[in-house]
Amino acid sequence: MATLRTDFDTLVKALSPELYRYAMGLCHNPATAEDLVQETFLRGWRSRDDLRDTKAARAWLYTILRNEHARLYERQRPEVQDPFELPDVPVHGYDTSPEAFVMRRALARLGGDYRDPLLLQVVGGFSCKEIGQMLDLNTNTVLTRLFRARKALREQLSDQPQLEANR
Amino acid sequence: MNCLDFRRQLLTDPFCKDTELLAHEADCPSCAPFARDVRAQEIRLRNALQAISPPDGMAERIQLAARFDQRSTVQRRWWYSAAAAVLMTIGVSMVSLFTTSIDRGNVALAQSVINHIEDESNHLHEAQPVSAGRMNRVFERFGAELAGNIGTVNFAAECLMRDRTGVHLVLPGKMGPITVFFMPGEMTASTLAVNSARFNGQILPTSWGSIAVVGEAGESLDGLGERLAAAVRWPRTDTVELDLLGRGTLIAARLTQP
Repeated sequence: MATLRTDFDTLVKALSPELYRYAMGLCHNPATAEDLVQETFLRGWRSRDDLRDTKAARAWLYTILRNEHARLYERQRPEVQDPFELPDVPVHGYDTSPEAFVMRRALARLGGDYRDPLLLQVVGGFSCKEIGQMLDLNTNTVLTRLFRARKALREQLSDQPQLEANR
Repeated sequence: MNCLDFRRQLLTDPFCKDTELLAHEADCPSCAPFARDVRAQEIRLRNALQAISPPDGMAERIQLAARFDQRSTVQRRWWYSAAAAVLMTIGVSMVSLFTTSIDRGNVALAQSVINHIEDESNHLHEAQPVSAGRMNRVFERFGAELAGNIGTVNFAAECLMRDRTGVHLVLPGKMGPITVFFMPGEMTASTLAVNSARFNGQILPTSWGSIAVVGEAGESLDGLGERLAAAVRWPRTDTVELDLLGRGTLIAARLTQP
């Protein structure tokens, strides 16, 4: 893993797409997502000397983005894109299939407590232990939230009653 | 593993390769289709998220913004230096009148504190208390730890003050928000006043650097700096260098754990 100081450009190229996807999963607004990613890298750049464990750069950037998103919502509640609607940007890079809309709507309806660990696992590929460190949760809590997140997604996406593990 | 455990584990990680999980799936006629269904949904979820790609040119815009940010920082440092030089000239010229001297570094530091608050004035409007976990994380980056109750804090982040990083807090006060900077390595010989048309406060010397406490004009800050300084335990310092001004300058990177 490159360091922010020595290879900032490489890190931006490599990580900005996945951080953008993560941001979109959080805010559902392309313009806000781009702002969040840019602010994340700038904060990372300003604090580059503070990153002692260079291997942690990726998780560190995810954490900065999540905090920036939380702070944005504390300051002002930005306009949230209706997952049913097309974004106000060219359709390029955005899956417009009905299936994708339904999935994004279901994801948007999840509470933040459940959506955050799910996005970190699916978009970031982080382990439950890593997610726990990033969210200040113990691993068992992360497991429970992932289970409930997917269970809630299934309930939203399925019209038929499912035989679920948790009754 | 029973069906309940299987389904719970599957929903936490649909592509888990646990042998016990896979064995149950192979043996259980009701769980096998459930697993296929869960994995199909997981693929749809991943496809919906992976299909999102960033706008064209986003990476280049970020790189450009970082360059500009770096240049701004350099320019701001130059401006601080120039302002400090002017103030020092004024100070020297007033020595004969008031038999006092103005320490250039101290003035620059006080001005940096004011500039930083004004540059990031948006943080003054933070209204939601930050969590204890975030507070701990911010200080942990410096090897410091909370040893007492700081009270309600509405903003906490690392920040760059002159050429060092520190901790930037915003606390609620009676007259408005109170800004606090923990500045490891910024050594001052005595308490410095921080004043502007809008803000007033002070910079207190500590063993590890200094702490600035600045509120709206009229805010009572008596004892607050000392209380906050006592509420954070910093790592001991083992290296002190003297710069050209003879001012003790602690190299932040050499902060060491006790």
